[in-house]
Amino acid sequence: MYRIRFHGRGGQGMKTASRILGTAFFLEGYEIQDAPRYGAERRGAPIFAYVRADDQPINERGIITNPDLVIVADDSLVPVPAAGVLTGVDEHTVLLINSDESVDTWKHRLNISCKVFTLPAEAEERAELRFIGATCTGAAARLLGKISREALQQAIKQELADLGEAVIDKTLAKALAAYDHMKNHEGCIQTGSETDASDYTKPAWINLPFDDARVSAPDIHASANSVEVRTGLWRTLRPVIDYERCNKCWWVCSTFCPDGAIKVSGQTPEIDYNHCKGCMICVAQCPPHAIEAVSEQLAQQQEAEQETSS
Amino acid sequence: MAEQTVSIYRSMKDLPSTHLLGTGTPMCSGCGGLEALNQLYDIIGNKSVFVNAAGCMTLLSVYPFTPFRGSWLYTAMASAPAGAQGVRDALDILIQKQRMSADEDMQVVVLTGDGAAYGMGLSATSGAMERNLDFLYICYDNEGYGNTGQQFSAATPHGAKTATSKGPRGYPGFKKDLFAIWAAHNPAYVATVEGAEPVDLARKIEKAMTMKGPRLLIALSPCPPGWDYDPKETVNVGKLAVKTGVWPLKEYIDGRVVHTKIPRERKPVEEYLKLQGRYKHLFEPQRNEKLINEIQDKVDRYWDSIDL
Repeated sequence: MYRIRFHGRGGQGMKTASRILGTAFFLEGYEIQDAPRYGAERRGAPIFAYVRADDQPINERGIITNPDLVIVADDSLVPVPAAGVLTGVDEHTVLLINSDESVDTWKHRLNISCKVFTLPAEAEERAELRFIGATCTGAAARLLGKISREALQQAIKQELADLGEAVIDKTLAKALAAYDHMKNHEGCIQTGSETDASDYTKPAWINLPFDDARVSAPDIHASANSVEVRTGLWRTLRPVIDYERCNKCWWVCSTFCPDGAIKVSGQTPEIDYNHCKGCMICVAQCPPHAIEAVSEQLAQQQEAEQETSS
Repeated sequence: MAEQTVSIYRSMKDLPSTHLLGTGTPMCSGCGGLEALNQLYDIIGNKSVFVNAAGCMTLLSVYPFTPFRGSWLYTAMASAPAGAQGVRDALDILIQKQRMSADEDMQVVVLTGDGAAYGMGLSATSGAMERNLDFLYICYDNEGYGNTGQQFSAATPHGAKTATSKGPRGYPGFKKDLFAIWAAHNPAYVATVEGAEPVDLARKIEKAMTMKGPRLLIALSPCPPGWDYDPKETVNVGKLAVKTGVWPLKEYIDGRVVHTKIPRERKPVEEYLKLQGRYKHLFEPQRNEKLINEIQDKVDRYWDSIDL
């Protein structure tokens, strides 16, 4: 059985990507299962989808913890604990990651010996982001080696029928380019070993004494403790204030920020990057255009460089 | 007659610059509902109990995290106003029995989406108004069941594409006039607000906070994934809803409806529709002149019918 896990951010089309791959497998005569995992997260937040494919009926259910292929649409998810990108990755797993950085960099950084493939990150524009899923699916289909170009095309047309010709054409172009790009690595993914109910090991629970809620769960009496959640990790674009151009109107960016992530002290606005989700409303609304959108990845690289030089 | 008060929110500069609602909520990036709630909460303050019907904003408080500084109660979709009755009664009893002093009293605030407000919860709201319950109701109206993938609701506008109205004509029904339905109960206060018009919003919630009895607000809440536009456009979409006359800013007070921001020269509705993917079928592959005119006519008829 093939076990494939998709990681992306809400809005990058990974749920659709998993459906396309599942349908393509189905068209090739496989038994399949494809399901996204729904949680309390939204656009920009980590999302997951799972595909299982086998030549016999699939009895396994639930999330995939021993993947044969892990597809990562956004490399900024790797360090996010909630995304759990590396869960169950071992030497037989293949990691397909959408990144500007090299395969060697990722192998070194993650200290893993499994096969790693990268897709060039090509989405500069946010409008293009939703097609990343298509690129991932195309590449994955070729790496699996069981899906023909025709089945991939048909699956895309079938799954996206509602979205109109323009979207289908663009998705086909992206997916097929990625499919062709991976031709030298066709069929490099091995199916994982069968699991059996008798192999099940209980999770390592930690038993806590049963105390009164006031003792055991003091946080429910805390106010506004949602600040502990770092929604800044959702961001792919970062708003940066040019204080030379800021005319200290002191309310526009702060009032319109849906997340209350811009505070004004004195007359100077300050963006809370731990919580800014990167919607860019402040960039669009700032009257003197003093806020600029920069790539989050670039901003982080520059920060790291500054740190090492100082 | 309600007492005539002078608003402290005369201009943008009077709006609060620090915010009370906690950051780190799981609402979508660019959420128009959260934008409005942030502005409302700054003025409602921490002496409040939120009663939240199932919907997107149920996720504000996912154990153990909450952005609120006061209490929060979660109810089923149809029953938030009934939950508010229970909370109000409990507070009254605690004060009466002197287990709590009168100045520790709290505002009871119902928070629901349009699915609950326009549909399932309408009967419970009607009952609460009938009993003259002292509460605030905030409806964040994103014109569909946003939490589950934008299926149409009774608040979905004519012609909009939703997950359950995908045809070339979009949603065949018409947005329910909840403002009029609520106002017909003759409660203390009803108003429409929009996060992109923060001064108008601040004045209305300020006014509502000085009153007793049922006070209800509907905040049109542009929704990036549900309405299909880039999150950075949330404020532009909201402003255009007002400038095109699609979303009239008004209040019902002392038995009268007053329009608080009148777009004297209304922009064509097309400018509002064009920004949103849910109306794309009106312009591509061919322009659907008939449906665009139908939407424009409805807006024009509204403004022609009222006595400004």
